[in-house]
Amino acid sequence: MFSIIQQNVVRFLLLTALQVMVISNLNLSPFLVPNILPLFILLLPFSIPRWMLMLIGFFSGVIADIFLGTLGFNAAAGLLVAYIRPFIINLITPKGAEFEQSPNIFSQGFTWFLIYLSIAVLIHHSFYLLIESGTFYNIILLLTRIILSSILSLAFMFIGLYLFSVKKRRIN
Amino acid sequence: MYNLVRFLIRYHLLMLFLLLEAFSFYLIFKKSKFHSATFLNTSNALNGAVFNTYNDITSYFYLRKSNDSLVAENAALRAMLLQSKYSGDVDTFSQTDSIAPKLIQRFVYFPAKVIRNSTDNANNILYIDKGSLQGIHHQMGVICRNGIVGQVVDVSDNYSAVMSVLNKDFKVSAKIKKNNYFGNLHWSGVNASSAKMDEIPKHVPVVKGDTIVSSGYSSLFPENVMIGIVENVKSEVDKPFMHVDVKLSTNFRNLDFVYVVKDLQRSEISKLDSVTIKANK
Repeated sequence: MFSIIQQNVVRFLLLTALQVMVISNLNLSPFLVPNILPLFILLLPFSIPRWMLMLIGFFSGVIADIFLGTLGFNAAAGLLVAYIRPFIINLITPKGAEFEQSPNIFSQGFTWFLIYLSIAVLIHHSFYLLIESGTFYNIILLLTRIILSSILSLAFMFIGLYLFSVKKRRIN
Repeated sequence: MYNLVRFLIRYHLLMLFLLLEAFSFYLIFKKSKFHSATFLNTSNALNGAVFNTYNDITSYFYLRKSNDSLVAENAALRAMLLQSKYSGDVDTFSQTDSIAPKLIQRFVYFPAKVIRNSTDNANNILYIDKGSLQGIHHQMGVICRNGIVGQVVDVSDNYSAVMSVLNKDFKVSAKIKKNNYFGNLHWSGVNASSAKMDEIPKHVPVVKGDTIVSSGYSSLFPENVMIGIVENVKSEVDKPFMHVDVKLSTNFRNLDFVYVVKDLQRSEISKLDSVTIKANK
């Protein structure tokens, strides 16, 4: 139905809008600052060249930053996720496994996706919250924020994945 | 040279990564002056419209609550009017005569509405719907009916960015109301309702429940604006100062209407200030 580019553009717009309009305004607790933006980078096609992946990660972060008033933070964290994504995929994928064009929760399975997203989100949130606090001074607070926020972000991401991936399988 | 080229080709991805990462950090460190201005410029076109609509919708849910507290505030202000005061003096004429001509307006207040707020980040900034066209300037204090809110850090035509008390860079001169000892107050960095004062000498009698108000030493806030209540006092043996934990009276989680404070005598004070600084050099 959609081309792969249209699909990703729509996903980017949806995720950014959701983060800017809803999730950043939740103000749940200082320990829960979820961020679903890395999901966009993590769902880009496998075959995308690494330099392009990094540029997309960087600029999608900049666009979100402009609306969130946090210029630089999401760009730096998004870029990091884009840079390490191929390493994570190599690390957790069995040799010789053949995948579809893009990561999809129904073709790779729940376990693969859980490990994939957990590693990436944990790295993203650690980096993001560390540069945001700018110091190691309150390390316990920082670690609690990272772990609890990552769990909540992952929950949001999986809800989104199950809501939107079902349709995709039916079309294929 | 050949080795350098080979090195660059071999590590071009890492180079690109480091380059872009360096650029992001450049943006982050430059932001204190720059980021909110950029945000506000885009906000005029898009964010302003979007967040105003968003706020128009969500504010309906809190309408009753904010009406109630506005009415309560009006009642409190009405009680402070001179008409409401009873004077024990027999000669009321001399009282009005001696006081009235000497009073000059020093602070004026602009009402504004919060259109975007955050409480859970390491540096919280909120945005209000008044800007330079409405008379808001850089470095004006912002208060609400319960206490202090922050300081204007950036203005665009119709919107302003306010560094809230919940920000690492925010400092305000505060004093203990009952004995006028003063010190800097800053955010404790964890939750939206607690702050710290670190410069109170040990001999000062301060106990849990004492009121902390603004000192009036800066042009940001008038004197005696409520800041909070002392929650805990810690003193260490080898340090000359006490740690005073303050529970902020402002509830940052449901801010709606705020007042921007304008000091009409600010330029006079800062002129005097620059003269004394020059004289001391």
